[in-house]
Formats: sequence, C-alpha cells, structure tokens
Amino acid sequence: MSIEVRGIGKHFGNFTALDNVSLDFPTGELVALLGPSGCGKTTLLRIIAGLETAESGSVLFHGEDATEREARERKVGFVFQHYALFRHMTVFENIAFGLRVKPRRERPGEKGIRDKVTSLLKLVQLDWLAERYPSQLSGGQRQRIALARALAVEPKVLLLDEPFGALDAKVRKELRRWLRRLHDEIHVTSIFVTHDQEEALEVADRVVLMNQGRVEQIGTPEEVYEHPATPFVYGFLGSVNLFHGRAHDGVMHFGNLALDAPEHGGAENALAVAYTRPHEIEVGRFAPGDPGILARLKRALIVGPSARLELEREDGAGMIEAEIPSELHRRLALREGDTLLVRPRRTKVFLNAA
Amino acid sequence: MSATFALPMAEYRFPVRRRASGESALVKWSLIGTALAFLALFLFVPLAAVFHEALCKGLDAYIAALAEPDALASIKLTFFVAALAVPANLVFGVAAAWAIARFEFRGKSLLLTLIDLPFSVSPVISGLIYVLIFGAQGWIGPWLQSHDIKIIFALPGIALATVFVTFPFVARELIPLMQEQGSEEEEAAIVLGASGWQTFRRVTLPNIKWGLLYGVILCNARALGEFGAVSVVSGHIRGQTNTMPLHVEILYNEYQFAASFAVASVLALLALVTLALKSYVEWRVRHETSDPVTVGPQE
Repeated sequence: MSIEVRGIGKHFGNFTALDNVSLDFPTGELVALLGPSGCGKTTLLRIIAGLETAESGSVLFHGEDATEREARERKVGFVFQHYALFRHMTVFENIAFGLRVKPRRERPGEKGIRDKVTSLLKLVQLDWLAERYPSQLSGGQRQRIALARALAVEPKVLLLDEPFGALDAKVRKELRRWLRRLHDEIHVTSIFVTHDQEEALEVADRVVLMNQGRVEQIGTPEEVYEHPATPFVYGFLGSVNLFHGRAHDGVMHFGNLALDAPEHGGAENALAVAYTRPHEIEVGRFAPGDPGILARLKRALIVGPSARLELEREDGAGMIEAEIPSELHRRLALREGDTLLVRPRRTKVFLNAA
Repeated sequence: MSATFALPMAEYRFPVRRRASGESALVKWSLIGTALAFLALFLFVPLAAVFHEALCKGLDAYIAALAEPDALASIKLTFFVAALAVPANLVFGVAAAWAIARFEFRGKSLLLTLIDLPFSVSPVISGLIYVLIFGAQGWIGPWLQSHDIKIIFALPGIALATVFVTFPFVARELIPLMQEQGSEEEEAAIVLGASGWQTFRRVTLPNIKWGLLYGVILCNARALGEFGAVSVVSGHIRGQTNTMPLHVEILYNEYQFAASFAVASVLALLALVTLALKSYVEWRVRHETSDPVTVGPQE
C-alpha cells in the first residue's frame, strides 16, 4: 500500500515541528526518514500512524484520505524506539495481542492464534523465547519481538521509530542487515526514522533528508551521498571540508585556485562556499608556483587501506580533513609537520544565502 | 619477608573498614537504640495498653462489649461508610491519575494542588465545610429540609466527609507510577487495534494493579479510622450515626473504659491487618519490578 502526505504542518508551542511537508512513499519500498534530532521525522511518523494529529494537510493511504481515521483503524504496524513491549505478558502473549483484541467476527480461534504467533517467532528467529517475559530478553531480542508483534495483524504499512537507536553498535549492524533481508522477504511498505546516516544509507531504498521541519532532499542512498542538494545534506552525510571564496561568471575562486562552477553562471562576485569530501582531496608536496592551498600536516592516522590526514591551513582558515590511500601516504613519505599542497579534486559550490 | 609485609597491610586495612561502615559502632548502636526506644514508648506500649485494658475485665466482658447493639451498629456503619468511600475514591483516583499522567491541559497543577487539599486542611475544618453547606443554617440547608433530605447528622454527611478526607490516597499513589511508566505501551496497544477499554483493561490496569491496591489499602485504613471530619457531621446519635472511633470516645467519656478499649482494640486489629497487607503489597511490587534473570546485553 502506498502512503502519501500532503502539506503536513505541526507546531509544539512556538516550535515548528513540521512545515508544509509533502512526500510519497511508493508501495513496497523501504524508506528512511533521516535527520538530526528535533527535525520532525518522528512527529511525521507518528502523524502517519495516527498517534499525533497534524494541524494542516492530509495523509493518504492507497490514494484514500485517512487523515480522520483513528490510529486503531489505520492498520499500520508501529515499532517503538524503546520497544514498548507489554511488560506483564509473555513474548507469546505480546505477539498474540493484536489478534486477541480483534472483534469476535474477525478473531482467529485459539489454534489460529498459536499458529500465527509460532510462524512469526520463526520469522524473527526467536521461537525458543515464547514463554519469556520482556524483562528477560536482550535489547536486540526485544526489538525483534516488537517487530513480530507489529507484523501479527498483517499491516499494510510498517513504521519504525529509531528501531536500532537503543542498541549497541554491533547488534545494531546485525539487526539492520536482518531488517533489510526481512523487508526483501515480506515486501511491506516501510518507513523508518533514524538519525544515523550510515544506517539510512545502508538499509533504505530511498532516503528522505529532513531538517528543521522541512524536507531537504529525497533520493536513493547513492544520489543523496554523491549529489547532495543542499549544504545541510552535504554536512549531514559524512564529513566535509568547506572552502570560502567568491563565485563569478561560473568560476569559483579561493586561494590561488579557480574551479569551474557552471551552475552559478549568473553569479557576480558572490560569496560562495565549496564543499569537498575528505576522499575528494588531493595532497602533494609543495612546489613553488603549483596551484593549491598550503597546509601543515598535524596528524596522520592510518586505518587499513586509507590514511586520514588532519591538515592545518597556513592562512589560518582552519583545518582540512583528507583521506588518501595508505599506499600514497607511504610513497610520499609524509611526516607530521610537513608543509603540503592541498587541492580539491571535486567540489560542490553553494552561494551564501545572505 | 612476611613480617615486613604484615605491617603496611594492617595499616592499610583499618581506614578502609572504617569508611565502609561510615560511622563508629557507638554512633550506630546509639542511633538504633534511640529509634527502638522511641518506637517502644510511643507505639508498642500504647498498642499493648489497648489490648490490656480491653481484656482486663475478662474475655466475656470483652465479647459482651462488642456484641452490645450500639457497638455493633457502629462497627457496621464504619464498614458501610468505607465500602462507599473506597470505591468512589478508586474510580476518582484512577481517573485523576490518568488525566494528569497522560494529558497536558490547562489547570493541571491546580488539579494536583486540589488533590492534596485534604492532606493540608484539618479534618475538623473539612467536616465544618459540609455543615456550612448542608447544615440547617447552611447555604442549601433550608432547601434540603423543605424536601426532607437529611445530609448532616446522617449517613450521607458521614460518607461525604470520609470521601473528602480519603481522596488523595489512590490518586497520589498512581500519578508518579503512571508518569514513570509512560504511555508507549498504551500507544502500542491502540496501534494494534485495541479499543480504549481493551487498552485500559489489558495494558494499563495490569501495569498499575499493585500501586492501585496499595493506594486502596491506605485509603481504606484512613476511611475506617477517620475521627475529626466525621465527628463534626455525624451528630453522635448512638446506634445510628456513630462510627467506631466516635463510639470509642463516647464510651470513654462515660467512664466505660473496658468497653471503650474493646471497640478500640477492633480498630487496632484492623490497623495491624492493614500493615500486613501493605507489607505484602510492597514485597510484591519489589518482586515484580526487579528484573528476573537477564539474558544477553541490556541497552
């Protein structure tokens, strides 16, 4: 089932949680809502679930307006950040809950419930935990039970609020791969909220980047990482170096460098910032007359195949982070304290808003 | 070698042991002794005195004092009033705690203050308020009289005063509990398709049941023992509007000490039962909230 939100707005007191947000979630996709805390992503998820009401705009399920539908009639599966398992029920009863509260006409018999719960426990690979209580499970196990409970009512949509936020790094990695495989198996339209860019890029079919109640960019993980649409997206998805300068007639000038920026052909001597990822920076020995920015190597950290360099600009404009192959690091025989020339190989130029 | 080793070890150990207990044995035992002596003087001795006085004329006199019609009527009335007040405050307490813990609304802190009012106002004043409203010279007293409705110096007045005095107990017990538990489990139930009633019965109630029972026990104890507020509104009509605490006072004022203490001993016994129940519930709460064996890493 597809989901569509149109012109959603929501305030909490003076704080704008969502500002006229419109999005499409096509059937069967796994979409990540990614952004820093307070960007409105969880509020949007709760509005889709019906746990929160929007002040303006509408929510459509499969093209039908569901804005006025109550949470319990929306037939969505919701997985909470802190699991929200019923603490006084066994794992079995937790999963069976959604079936037991159905109206008598739709409720399956005791055997039907047992079969369904057993198959879900097998799906999440925890069938040996049926008689345990939530307090006896690890965080990762609780989260998988929460997922099984949400799937018991066969929802057309699965909503996950920071599903791995409360887990330690190793379990988190395992569980997100598992979630991806599970989604490929059951293919239910899913939206998950996260503030972890790595998680979003690894798991999702598409990523929606949000900031301050607005959508910054929508795209596949590759698109948003390789072609960030806004400075915010650039900064949020991994580390980035900023070079301040001026753009004029489609060329950006900073230091003794001139970079092509054809998208700003109309700019006249406008203040601009060039964004460059660490691995898109070239580093070379200083030679008089060569173009580049002078920087002193403060620290080099070699991790496996790549070397991470921290460089301090000689003109006092701050630090530059570069990532080069370890092999090149060895070949150049770099020492801490060396003066080097730094050149961005690829940049994206944004004009200053002011 | 061993000799050179022993000396610094002994020197090292002493301050560590001192710090572990915090205070010297003298301070510790004098504190414990003071507390025990205080308890003995102000709690155990009076309690023992009640039973001693009640039984000093023999078991027959004790039973006769309790079987006397006015005494029986007061015992019955006390339980009847508690049976009215406790369920009323149970419903009110759950409703108020739910409203305060789950929703944001204007006047929430005012409601919290009002719930505490019976704790801060002297019970005699509480009783007097009802006399001023419903009494013969009160605001709506003449209207009540012309319609032949009796509230003051009758059962309704006693019940009202008791409800007023006991209403903070359940709400006060549940509010912090429900705030701590949060509403995620209820939201989970709703998203899974449960109705409001199903959510309350299957999720909310099981989570608060021990806190609720604890509040009910305290509420019940106070309802049975209330003196001040009830005294003002009851009128002390023997066999009709006398509750147990009032009956104790009347007998005592008439120098019927043995009979007075006999009725008092019933109240004391009820208090002991309450204490036992309260300890049991506390034990259960500790037992249920402390997690059993935990498997694997926690968040």
